Amino acid sequence: MLRFMALAFFSLIMILFFSGCTDFDEPNQLAFVLGTAIDRADNGEMEISHQVVITSQAPSKGGSFGGSNHFIILSAKGKDIYEAQQKIQRETSRRLMMNHRILIAISEEYFNQNDVRKIFDKLGRDPANNLRDIIVLIKGASAKQFLKMKHPMEPLSSIGEDKKMQTNAIRNFSSRTLIIETLSEGTRSMLPVIQIKPSKKGSNLMSTNTIVSKYAVLDKQLKVKGIVDDVEGAKVGWMSGNETVQGITIPWKDGIGYLSFRLNHLKRRIHAVRVEESKQIIMSVKAQAYLLENTTQLNLSEVDNMIVIQNYMNKQLEKEMQQTVDKVQNWGADVFGIGEYLHRKYPYWWKSKKEDWDQHFKEMDVKVQVNIELKSIGMIGKL
Amino acid sequence: MKIGSYPMFWMVSISSIIVSSFLPIRLAMEESRQDCWISMLLGGMIMMAATWIMLRVCMQNKDKTLVFFIKDLLGTLLGKTIVIVYFLLWLWQLSTLTTAMVEFQNLILLHNTPTIVLIVCTLFLAVYAVYRGGLTAISRCAEAIGPFFIIFCYSHLFLNFKYIDMKRILPIYADSGWIHILKGTFYSYNYIVDPTIILMLFFFAENKRTASRAILWGTAVAMIWGILSTLVVLFVTGPNLASELVHPTYYLTKFVTILNFIQNIDSFYVTFWMFGNFIKLSVYLFILSYGLSEWTGYKNWKLIACFMTIVWLAIVIYSSHHIRISHSFKNLYLIGYFYPFVYFGIPLLLWLIGSLRKAVKQPL
Repeated sequence: MLRFMALAFFSLIMILFFSGCTDFDEPNQLAFVLGTAIDRADNGEMEISHQVVITSQAPSKGGSFGGSNHFIILSAKGKDIYEAQQKIQRETSRRLMMNHRILIAISEEYFNQNDVRKIFDKLGRDPANNLRDIIVLIKGASAKQFLKMKHPMEPLSSIGEDKKMQTNAIRNFSSRTLIIETLSEGTRSMLPVIQIKPSKKGSNLMSTNTIVSKYAVLDKQLKVKGIVDDVEGAKVGWMSGNETVQGITIPWKDGIGYLSFRLNHLKRRIHAVRVEESKQIIMSVKAQAYLLENTTQLNLSEVDNMIVIQNYMNKQLEKEMQQTVDKVQNWGADVFGIGEYLHRKYPYWWKSKKEDWDQHFKEMDVKVQVNIELKSIGMIGKL
Repeated sequence: MKIGSYPMFWMVSISSIIVSSFLPIRLAMEESRQDCWISMLLGGMIMMAATWIMLRVCMQNKDKTLVFFIKDLLGTLLGKTIVIVYFLLWLWQLSTLTTAMVEFQNLILLHNTPTIVLIVCTLFLAVYAVYRGGLTAISRCAEAIGPFFIIFCYSHLFLNFKYIDMKRILPIYADSGWIHILKGTFYSYNYIVDPTIILMLFFFAENKRTASRAILWGTAVAMIWGILSTLVVLFVTGPNLASELVHPTYYLTKFVTILNFIQNIDSFYVTFWMFGNFIKLSVYLFILSYGLSEWTGYKNWKLIACFMTIVWLAIVIYSSHHIRISHSFKNLYLIGYFYPFVYFGIPLLLWLIGSLRKAVKQPL
């Protein structure tokens, strides 16, 4: 019995030593970084800013986040990410924790003047990163300024941006996706852009007056080739295989009325026959449409009218999407993944083309085919 | 000290999955990129063949361990010398595995804990299991840990279902070609499964027929896991990123996010991996010390186990200070001569001699 007690006592003491408590930080010793901004600083250095949520502050009555600040911005300059981060850490009372980061904002200036691919090394090598955070490009202001902005609904601007993307665009803009796309030879990347307008009153509140969402089309070196607005960007997203478009509005033939549809089950297929000679690619997109608003004179209880608007919608959308494709093609950045498709289908042909794919992509003849099925006209025929 | 077939299955499959989880995928991926699952498949088949040959040898010498039957078949001097090669192999695997495991823990979880504490804890656990219970204790542990370990290993592959894109392994063959695929196999096959332990373990099996079936199944489960995880790594990350990953299967767990709620499950992976490692290390320590006791004729193998632990500790500490030693998986002498010699050369020779003897005896 005595021996058993001694053993039990001994093991209990050992648990204290061997449980790894030496490496453990209590939550009140941690600073949760939810957003990181990367800006360009002088002398080729970079400025890292961390948006840290202040956890010690209890939310005011009713759990709302209105009123005071719920975050602080910590920033420092350095030759690489780690150096800047260490500078921040030395000035901070809590250990910075990156595992829960949801957003990395990079300023346009940094994109233009530095090689963004270099930050991927830190993201991949350091096990503290989760690679689930989204990367956005900030236009019109520094990335740090974006982090400083207040969101009217959410406690932090980075949470707001993340939720906005989840609600509206299903495309995955995580840093992992960006790294995979950058490493592959036949796909170029697209990034969400947040354009910050100079505000007159100096208000820092995020609203439709101060920010505009766009998308940037990047080339292999991650330089910005062109920027499209969010409606067009959603279509590009659709054509690169994501369900980013949620609805469309098209003008009716007479130019007076409009038709609006909700779209779902978005599909995309790339198809090529004898690409060696014809260089022709067919991009066919499919979806199901539900009519939600009709300001034309048409009575849609008539099946003939339904067929007419379905065909008209397909034609109209085909025209619009063809324009978008032509535009992106002119920039020579294959965000649709056509190169990757050809790589998989014609691997031997691809070997000679992959080196200079951006140029070859410009010469391709990409044709859009739209096939949307009208599923429903809604609750009424015609009022 | 007899063990059933059921724990045998778990011991063989755990110790094979442990090696294949961190070495072969990376080595194959570097060479054959999106076709590395073919390399893994070929390598797995080669190692299945090796396991089968070793089982044949064991079946011919049911009542003896490797140390005795190699002496029988090759003569005392030659047999005793060749067995040393196996001892070295086990010692080498013990120390590389421990080093890799401790480094991994230091990198991922325990940044400040001194390495020596981790090494001593690991070694103490293994030697305690061997000293107190011998193979019986290890097999019981394997039986308890095995199901959880294997279920976790298989299930975590599918938690990334959201990001799986099967087209990422295309085009098959065209980009790499046979030379690269075979090169990938050549670099990786030695690390896919772990056949030599059965040369010692088979002697302890209660029912030889079911035990041999258990060993083959255990190897097959590990081999299938190796191929499946290679495929999933490719599906999720694509060949370009995958070929740069040092711990591909661990990386998979970091990507997991289900409903924005289940995230950061990598801590589970590390835990289960440690459990599996404990089984593997103690099995190795047991066969090494038992083999040495038979080799020297000194009956107290438990004392030898304690002594071997000190040697093992010394090697681990030494090799953790010399980076080259603990990272020489791609050493050409090792994979070109040493592994084929111990996995195929000697077992084939033993099998041949055994069969010849049988054939000579039977007509009389």
